[in-house]
Amino acid sequence: MKGVALVTGAGRGLGRILATFLAGQGHKIVITSRTAAELDEFADSLESTGVRVVAIPGDITDAVHRTRLLQETRAIGGLSLLVNNASDLGEIPRPELAFASLQRLRLILETNLVAPLALIQEALPQLEQTRGLVVNISSDASQGGYERWGIYGSSKAALDLASKTLASELKLRHISVVSVDPGDMRTRMHQDAFPDEDISDRPLPEVTLPFWAWLVSQDPERITGMRYQAQGTLWEVPA
Amino acid sequence: MVSTIEDDIHHAFADLPWLLEPGDLLVVNESATLPASLPATSHLGEIRFNLSTRFADDLWLAEPRWSPSRPGPLPLNMNETLQIGEAKAVLLQQYPGIPRLWLTRLDTPAGLLMAKHGEPIHYSYAPAYPLSDYQTLFSRFPGSVEMPSAARPITPHVLDTLRERGIGIVGVILHTGVSSLEIEDNTVEHQALYPEVFKVPEATANAVNATHARRGRVIAVGTTVVRALETAWTPKGVRACSGATGLYIHPGTSVHVIDGLLTGLHDPITSHLAMLSAIAGLARVKRAYTEAIRNRYLWHEFGDSHLLLRQTAN
Repeated sequence: MKGVALVTGAGRGLGRILATFLAGQGHKIVITSRTAAELDEFADSLESTGVRVVAIPGDITDAVHRTRLLQETRAIGGLSLLVNNASDLGEIPRPELAFASLQRLRLILETNLVAPLALIQEALPQLEQTRGLVVNISSDASQGGYERWGIYGSSKAALDLASKTLASELKLRHISVVSVDPGDMRTRMHQDAFPDEDISDRPLPEVTLPFWAWLVSQDPERITGMRYQAQGTLWEVPA
Repeated sequence: MVSTIEDDIHHAFADLPWLLEPGDLLVVNESATLPASLPATSHLGEIRFNLSTRFADDLWLAEPRWSPSRPGPLPLNMNETLQIGEAKAVLLQQYPGIPRLWLTRLDTPAGLLMAKHGEPIHYSYAPAYPLSDYQTLFSRFPGSVEMPSAARPITPHVLDTLRERGIGIVGVILHTGVSSLEIEDNTVEHQALYPEVFKVPEATANAVNATHARRGRVIAVGTTVVRALETAWTPKGVRACSGATGLYIHPGTSVHVIDGLLTGLHDPITSHLAMLSAIAGLARVKRAYTEAIRNRYLWHEFGDSHLLLRQTAN
């Protein structure tokens, strides 16, 4: 039996694909997203295949919701895989950083940086017990410096550094942390980011499945601190 | 056959030590072959279930086929359970871009299944030989589902002669998945390749870099070795490296590490042939293959050998 996985932002896109895979692989899963209808429909479709799933709609910036999620993971055996996938792209069209609303910047950091960190902090006792793995979903925007990607990119860059730092800090407690850039995919978020573009040439989020299969099969303690590109040509295990 | 810029010359394989120079380095794949072809029962009846790529003992990429000679994709369903003896295999998801391959969960470790039911993967052009026929002198680490066959003709005598001549031999590991024998797309650029687990040990990285430093040639024994070494390449040389590589070497990519490739003869529009063209240029590959066909060379893993040198010896 695999362990317990929590996937945020699981209602659609990458989160949904990953949660489906983890469930099929035998994980007990807890899923959450803000859009209740989407999440429930997904949970129903999973359950129709005989998979047990706990679906709790809500906003991960809400401390009460986070506590609830982690109560559920504890109740079914203790969290061993936390996937911080939910993120906020921010205003569309994306503003230039130089003129962006600072209030909105704070909101995006709240979802993309503070909430994932809060989940990790609160999940530490469970993760320590299971020698678990935290996967923070990043983006190439975290390194690109692309025009009009400053807000989202900064939040992901901060999350990348948080991942790397936590990996160092939590090593002796046998909790592992990686960040993963899934690459361009044909998802709602990607379409939102490029509202006027035809994105049908981008691969569906299923393209990342081999990476997830590989990642969850690694010894977490050997890969902690790494940043991976799910569509990259090398997934390295450091010596 | 040895192909250089100038020409294609026929030799016996045992000439190999004399076709290389002292100070050259052969790099072999030390991955050993598994009996990865399993009989299975699906809702379609009796089928072949060829394991391809191990993620974990219970999580594999696998290729369901009608039979050794008849490929898929089979009309199987997501979450369908196959029976392998007493064991069960659940088809989780089709591989993105390669519908004949499935991510599969096994309820019994694959090693046990292979020990009990497995035979080496084989195709229409050859029968199933005993597993030992699918190993080379260098097979040390089980993990390939198809023989890394380029080193197969290297006999103990050839090996001794190579060493006496001052030609180095070092190893990498790359566990092969099922070959792209029946292709999904008829253009080389669109070949979907799945990742393979590999390791370039530190001693091997050092040997490669030292060989280049003294202007020796690094000869890959097999396309798998090219994939591993080129993955481990950096502008400062080859580094020790392990993990999974999805590197696809085709005429649009640069080849940095290897100065030659000892390999078999490959089918058209395969990733292997694309790699050869990246190494030697399409025109030379065509010239060599015309020569090979004219002389009735044998293809595939038990066939003849081809040494492609990027430049002639200094």
